[in-house]
Amino acid sequence: MSDCETPDESVKERINNIVVFMCNECGQGSANTAGVARMAYDAAIRIIRVQCTGQVGPIQIMDALTNGADAVACVGCCLGACHFFNGNIISMHRIKLMKKVFKELGYSDQFVNQYTSRAAEGETAVGDFEDIIDRLTTAITEKGTIKDGC
Amino acid sequence: MDVKVFQFNGCKKCFNESLLLKEGPKYKVEYVSDPGNWKGEKVDVSVITGYLLPGDLEHLEKIKNNSNKFIAYGDCTATGGVFALANQKGHDVTPLVNLVEDSISVYGCLGEIEELKFAIDGTEVPKLKSLCQVCSRKATCDYLESINRQIELEDSEACFNDLGFLCSGFTASECKEKCIDYNTPCRGCKPSIDRSGVRMMALFGTLAGNIEIATEHSVKGATDKLADADDDLTDSLPDMVGNFFRFTLPTSGLPKGRIPSSGTLMEDVFIGRLIEEIPLISGLLGGAKSISLTLKFIETYEKANQIEVSAQTKKYREELLQLEKELQTAIASEDESKYKEITDKIRFIAGNMNLSNVFFGGFKSIIDTNDDFNEYKTHIFDVVEGTYKNGSVEYTIDSDGIITEIKIEEG
Repeated sequence: MSDCETPDESVKERINNIVVFMCNECGQGSANTAGVARMAYDAAIRIIRVQCTGQVGPIQIMDALTNGADAVACVGCCLGACHFFNGNIISMHRIKLMKKVFKELGYSDQFVNQYTSRAAEGETAVGDFEDIIDRLTTAITEKGTIKDGC
Repeated sequence: MDVKVFQFNGCKKCFNESLLLKEGPKYKVEYVSDPGNWKGEKVDVSVITGYLLPGDLEHLEKIKNNSNKFIAYGDCTATGGVFALANQKGHDVTPLVNLVEDSISVYGCLGEIEELKFAIDGTEVPKLKSLCQVCSRKATCDYLESINRQIELEDSEACFNDLGFLCSGFTASECKEKCIDYNTPCRGCKPSIDRSGVRMMALFGTLAGNIEIATEHSVKGATDKLADADDDLTDSLPDMVGNFFRFTLPTSGLPKGRIPSSGTLMEDVFIGRLIEEIPLISGLLGGAKSISLTLKFIETYEKANQIEVSAQTKKYREELLQLEKELQTAIASEDESKYKEITDKIRFIAGNMNLSNVFFGGFKSIIDTNDDFNEYKTHIFDVVEGTYKNGSVEYTIDSDGIITEIKIEEG
């Protein structure tokens, strides 16, 4: 077993800082709904409220990753439901390009992701958070973290 | 003023260009091509050229301790340059700023001699415009319908990005080499802003906003999420690192790559790049042999795939090869006026010292106004999978046109 391969449980313990940019409309709305319904989610999730996920680009994501985030995700409105025009789609394009760069450098592409949620349903946000952690755990188990540099 | 120019690793193009410092009596220039054997004496200004590895730190500190001013000349020294693409495969090409503090950077591949003179004199460099401000093409910044790896050279009015032909001019400063004048989009060798590659990627992601991307159903979230599968967007950009981070990989903030290395540093730079980018990359890092190296790459491919080349193209290529020989003689004898004369002639045919005008099947822009451009105009060529060999150069490309194996014999 190399240094990068660690059992599932200890990997989960190492994940303690996931930055999630949530848009002010559906993203943050669903997190609020989840809060009202007292739904629980992982303590590693750190929410940053933004006006629209279209405001978040590779620079902000790289800043988060280089300053200690284990992974970054954006949660925006559903497809076609952006409250501005198409900020969620634009953001998806940028994040897709970032994923490709990570792959080309030999890393897992799960350090950045984009989700959507519905303001009326808190479980969509909580489900997204769970999915982020699951994917990251698998990615770290298989290929190590960015910080490991292995 | 005492100036010493030190060449570390790499193609020596900037080192050779610094011969132009000898023009006029202003500077007393000495050239040190082997900094390891330099004895170390006090000097006013040290100019560092070539790419750097962590092992060079000892020599760099010795130079720094003996000089009043310390200048990184050219992209390889200032930002890592094209050789730093090998960092994708775990190499450790490091820009000077990450090794030694208090250095002045002169960007560009090739670094501009006027800016180097400003840096040596300590006068302020005049504020440079952005490349888009001096570009003759006009941008609309509309969403793209498709991303194109090659375009027919018909429209000379529309911005390359509007044509779906990726250009990094948005994040670059105006320059002398000016690839954009030779139908070659900018690759950002002279960044006007920090982390230019990441910013350009962001901008291009926005421009590509109309291109189909894959989404999938997230089971846990019960909504859609961005899919991991390849889609139109990723398929049309097979080499993002080479496109957006060609000169700035170590300073981009991206983590060091961990693709297994497959050979020497030079070969690792080429692997993963696209066939249509090869003339530009070999033009960048071939140094005084860049012309013969580039033409070897091109001619091998042309011959194997029956791409017809006109007599006029052959004539110009012969001229370039002849000029390369003369250039080598001029460099060997440190003759700056001869050097200037020959590089001007090379620039006339090849556009610039990065050989932007040279391409598969001919040239990208008209060389002499008396010529009929249609005689040597390049056209879109097909990507054909296979192994191509010509003397000291052998390379294999896959069906997407990505170089998977390469062998370059030194010399």
